[in-house]
Amino acid sequence: MSEAPAPRLHGHREPDPALRRDAVEITDLLWRIDEAGRRLPVRRSEVVERLLASGQRKAARTVARMPARDDVLDDEWVDALGIRVHCELQRLVEELQFPRRVAALLAPLLDDLRAGGGGPVRVVDLGCGLGYVVRSLAHRGLLGPGVELVGVDLNPVLVAEADRLARAEELDCRFVHGDALRPGVAVDDPARTVVISSGVLHHLSPESLTALARAEAALGLAAWAHWDIAPCGWSTLGAWIFHQARMREPVSRHDGVLSARRAHPAEVLLATARSGAPEYDHAVHEGPRWHPAAIDVVRPLVGIRR
Amino acid sequence: MRVVAVASALAVLGLLDGALAGFRSSLGRRGAVEHRVRDRVAARRGLLLMGGLLLPVAVATGLHALAPGPWPAEAYVRAGTAMLAVYLPYAVVTLLALLGYLALGWRWGYLASAVILGPFTLVRPLVATAGVVAGAVRGDDGGVTVGCLLALGAVLAVEPLSGRLWWSAGQGVRSVASATQRQ
Repeated sequence: MSEAPAPRLHGHREPDPALRRDAVEITDLLWRIDEAGRRLPVRRSEVVERLLASGQRKAARTVARMPARDDVLDDEWVDALGIRVHCELQRLVEELQFPRRVAALLAPLLDDLRAGGGGPVRVVDLGCGLGYVVRSLAHRGLLGPGVELVGVDLNPVLVAEADRLARAEELDCRFVHGDALRPGVAVDDPARTVVISSGVLHHLSPESLTALARAEAALGLAAWAHWDIAPCGWSTLGAWIFHQARMREPVSRHDGVLSARRAHPAEVLLATARSGAPEYDHAVHEGPRWHPAAIDVVRPLVGIRR
Repeated sequence: MRVVAVASALAVLGLLDGALAGFRSSLGRRGAVEHRVRDRVAARRGLLLMGGLLLPVAVATGLHALAPGPWPAEAYVRAGTAMLAVYLPYAVVTLLALLGYLALGWRWGYLASAVILGPFTLVRPLVATAGVVAGAVRGDDGGVTVGCLLALGAVLAVEPLSGRLWWSAGQGVRSVASATQRQ
């Protein structure tokens, strides 16, 4: 009996062949935080060497121009840069209508959870950055009543700024520094918690994607929805156009286009999610890649407990 | 009369572009969710700034008119008409997309931004330059060319200048310049 040919996946594509597998975003290298949440010094020369090692010469030049004292990057300057970059990113997220996308997908899920009774439902934004999605959901009340909104990020600078922004606008949401999937950090009642993220998955290797799904399943979350860029020529072109047109920081322009190029295809997301959390139903909501389905350029990987 | 009509149309487009440039220059700076008031302030500032930046065009044209010899009004009309031929379609499509972004649901609003507003912002300097080249070629007059180039300078300068004047620092975010000086 001959082996059946592999099914032709709709719109399947290989990862960007011109992109080195070890290519990394500049902002992935500018902060080092230890387990206790302490800031560790970042050597400029090490960041430059890391970028050169993966052939990212332009990114290396950008970092080489950053201020440092005795080769250690200026913390205060890096923090200010990080906030500027995330403010610019927020502009794009706003233009992508991200809170509306989240609300449209989560509404039926949250309705089901609310129908079960038992107090409020919680939505946790993993890797929330400046927390725009959480703050916008809170501001517009897009998820309806009885929903607690929590943003979590590993970067304490962004969490502090997200908290400050939320308080400035008196929004009903909160922000926590730490690992969103560590029990007690942001998830108290997993069966009534939905974890979301935006633009996080492309930072993870396939092995880490499996580990993420495994951790979510181990917690017993009701569901999760992780939005990320659908890799294709259109999204790379779109990322380039929008980062040239809208972004001012060279770091934003570099990282934004690289995000689109290193994003995982749907079949990788599904395979790793199924491997890590087989007891969940998974889906990637995206259309065909052979025409510009612009609305699907950013799409979610959804996992729902059976 | 034709020269007044063409100049007025160009001035309206220029001021509209200034308002939109001012609005863009304020985006992605502060992080607040609610920014409608700031948007309006930024647009007004951009409009006024563009008015100021276009003043040298008016002054140069006036000096040209006062200079000895005949004033080449026809050259100005030809140049202005050529510029309008480039700028009007761009402006109409941009305004329709903006209307779509504001009036239609979020999915269509997103498409208006993704397909039109973003790419049009990217090509704006090229469109501005193309209009000025067309105007200078059609005008075929040194004074007209100077006016065209001054207008191009205003269009290219308004957004970065607005950003630098009103939106570049704040919320405790230290500017790059001060950090570099401290080094």
